[in-house]
Amino acid sequence: MKWQRKDVLAIEDMSVDEIRHILHTAKVMKEILMRPIKKLPTLKGKSVVNLFYEASTRTRTSFEMAGKVLGADTTSIAVAQSSVSKGESLYDTAKTIQAMRADLVIIRHSSSGSAKFLADILDAGVINAGDGQHAHPTQALLDIFTMEEQLGDMNGKKVVIVGDVLHSRVARSNAWCLQKLGVDVTFVGPPTLVPFEMEGLGVKLAHDLDSVLPGADVVMALRLQLERQKSGLFPSLREYSQLYGLTTERLKKTEKQSIILHPGPMNRNVEISDEVADSAQALIERQVTNGVAIRMALIYLLIGGSSNVVA
Amino acid sequence: MWWLKDVWVIDPSQTLSAPRHVLIKGGQVLEMFASMTEEEVLTIAQGESVETINGEGKFLFPGLIDVHTHLREPGQEEKEDILSGSRAAVRGGFTTILAMANTKPVIDNRALIEFVRMQGERAGYAHVLPIGTVTKGMQGGELVEMADMKAGGAAAFSDDGKNIQNAEVMRLALEYAKITGLPIISHCEDKDLAGEGQMRRGMVSARMGLKGIPASAESVIVARDLLLAEETGGKLHLAHISTTESVDLIRQAKARGVNITAEVNPHHLIFCDEEMGITDTALKVNPPLGSQKDRESLIEGLRDGTLDMIATDHAPHTMAEKSRPFAEAPFGIASLETALSAIWQHLVVPGRLSFERVIEAWSVSPAKRFGLPGGSLKPGAIADMVLFDPDFSEVIDSTQLVSKARNTPFLGKNLQGFPVMVWVEGQLVQKNRTVLGK
Amino acid sequence: MEGTIKSKILDADGIRRAITRIAHEIVEKNKGTDRLVLVGIRRRGVPLAERIRQYIEKLEGVQVPLGILDITLYRDDLSTIDIHPVVHETDIPVSIEGKSVILVDDVLYTGRTARAALDATMDLGRPARIQLAVLVDRGHRELPIRADYVGKNLPTSRREIVAVRLQEVDKEEDVLLLEHEEDTSK
Repeated sequence: MKWQRKDVLAIEDMSVDEIRHILHTAKVMKEILMRPIKKLPTLKGKSVVNLFYEASTRTRTSFEMAGKVLGADTTSIAVAQSSVSKGESLYDTAKTIQAMRADLVIIRHSSSGSAKFLADILDAGVINAGDGQHAHPTQALLDIFTMEEQLGDMNGKKVVIVGDVLHSRVARSNAWCLQKLGVDVTFVGPPTLVPFEMEGLGVKLAHDLDSVLPGADVVMALRLQLERQKSGLFPSLREYSQLYGLTTERLKKTEKQSIILHPGPMNRNVEISDEVADSAQALIERQVTNGVAIRMALIYLLIGGSSNVVA
Repeated sequence: MWWLKDVWVIDPSQTLSAPRHVLIKGGQVLEMFASMTEEEVLTIAQGESVETINGEGKFLFPGLIDVHTHLREPGQEEKEDILSGSRAAVRGGFTTILAMANTKPVIDNRALIEFVRMQGERAGYAHVLPIGTVTKGMQGGELVEMADMKAGGAAAFSDDGKNIQNAEVMRLALEYAKITGLPIISHCEDKDLAGEGQMRRGMVSARMGLKGIPASAESVIVARDLLLAEETGGKLHLAHISTTESVDLIRQAKARGVNITAEVNPHHLIFCDEEMGITDTALKVNPPLGSQKDRESLIEGLRDGTLDMIATDHAPHTMAEKSRPFAEAPFGIASLETALSAIWQHLVVPGRLSFERVIEAWSVSPAKRFGLPGGSLKPGAIADMVLFDPDFSEVIDSTQLVSKARNTPFLGKNLQGFPVMVWVEGQLVQKNRTVLGK
Repeated sequence: MEGTIKSKILDADGIRRAITRIAHEIVEKNKGTDRLVLVGIRRRGVPLAERIRQYIEKLEGVQVPLGILDITLYRDDLSTIDIHPVVHETDIPVSIEGKSVILVDDVLYTGRTARAALDATMDLGRPARIQLAVLVDRGHRELPIRADYVGKNLPTSRREIVAVRLQEVDKEEDVLLLEHEEDTSK
């Protein structure tokens, strides 16, 4: 297929062909990543800017490594959160990056829609590394990659996503990606964190974890932001963990060899027990490796082909 | 003297919608006839020169009165000021505008009321009438000197932009304002329910991952204020109604005979949340755009009189402020220059609303409720009038807008049906979309 | 195929004879098959390498390891290619550490593909030596690269195109010389 995208902002507007092409490319990238010499000349002379408005060591490192393996020069700009209101506006920052002739910008920002906002201004490509509660396309791609690596074609299979989906860009991007590939998706959590309007994503909603586990091929736990308790969204970690924490005992209810995913970082013994997190079922470290492969694939697809700079 | 020949006059104050010849003299409507010859006009003119306008194919109606505008002066003149705002008003067909009190400082005493009124007079375009706050510093606590402010020219009282959260303060305001006869305008929004919300809570906000404002954030306060108005007999006006539930509550209260009026904004009649994109900050507005169902309820409410008025809630902002990610951009749409055309094109032309009802809701009803001049073309009435050409089409171009603000969802879009001549007190202030100099 | 056919350089028999000869030379030059690894460069290098392996097996009774190399990520002309090249997997089933790697391709022209293949191979390990086998060498090198085994030396002009067609890929079996209908090269 012909890749024509300048940016990767959300799974929502991607075709199945595009998703398949990314996954195919990532497979090649993973093979390279497993080599003793992890360095390619492919993107020699291309510059990739990591623009991170939210602290996220793991995602930023994953993108940096992906760019470096492909031979690109990667620069990270960590912007303190406070500067959103005080300092230079994203608009002005975008103009500055434009002037620096970057080829690709990776953005992580606390505002939903900020990645598209940036992409609309820049000639350079943009990859959304998480915008507010809206989208985290690379996470969803690495998740489906990991699922298919383990379980084969996911069409017709069942994925249960547990936790704070209301505030989760991971859950949203996974909902789009999985459903496009024919997966049956259920969001489960307390009604305050899985409110009725989440049906807008086309998924099934549930509040009783035990009742939706039977038949689940994949169970994905989301990170619970502990400050949600202060906003009154759930009464205590104790009760949350009793109702929605993944334990070995509870996971028997799937009645199959399900795999467990978590986007990290984990709150151990809140949304996932130690035992589950460290079990063979949990592919959490594999997700991290695959994350680099997916990001390599996207960086390659966005700037590996025809050059943005007209000679 | 002006002679408007063969123009279709819409004047709901005299249940008139028919072709007429209209004579304007000395800042007033002189007479209106079904037919007229030049000799007859010259006889009436008694030697005064006569400007003749062929009004065929055009509408003439009383100038629009907008009870809800933000002119930003004093304090935020980078967004708008009284001169630019009142020029935008006449360009859009408004001859009287009420200026909201949430400026910097807020308009909470007579000196500031008089300042706004004087600035409006100095500008000399639309009549600019100040709205005072309800509470000192708009803090939601102590009441302002309402009687003194009325003496200085206040047209109403409102803490618009902020809701009066304390129900007892609202009750007292409705009671005390009786000595002025002026309405209290309520900005119905429960602060806690609205929270940090950016758009209406629903499937669209869920998809976009933007914090939602539930419909109840508005209707809870609508219910409260209707009950308080009923209990006190105070004069209440509800600003920018946007939900089905609010419309139902108002309809029920009116059936009980409660002394209330309510307004709806053009954008809530035209857009809904499903049409929004994640970077469409031009459509970020408070109260937020509702669902399709809400939009239908609002149109129905306006048709059946549950909603008395249309008001723009003209909320100018700078491009820099609106050129931000959605959650960081301010709420508001600058709409004085486009609102009437948008309503014409989106609701009148498709037959959803009659033009007569639009003029009634945007001119006659506000004049009546707020006790303002205008709102009628009866002989002897002030000659605040609009000549509207339904065939005039224009691409909304930032270089043509006279407001300082560009935050309109119609930027770059074509609209058809515009005011092509506007008179304030018989003085022509806008001709062929150009605001005339002074 | 773009362009008009000027002549047929090799037919099926010609290709068979060329490959047989290359197979012989490889065994000859490397004094047997010990530590040999055949690596076909995608795309037509792959069936050619497979055929060479079969001849060597006939000759020596030994199955030489066979790998596939995708050099997309090593090309130095990515930015001048309009359509985004699809990357494929590189699949070399044995370690190339200390081995004699024979890279196999269909046509040697500017040398840029061979250069990319050399880089790609070195990133997989440290072979003892790398040799290059091609079915056709058409000249016009832009880099100091030469082939160790050549099926057919063919002097060409830059306006001409050498089309290698193999049964496995093209359902035809020949080598053609074509002429551009109009010169679009820059």
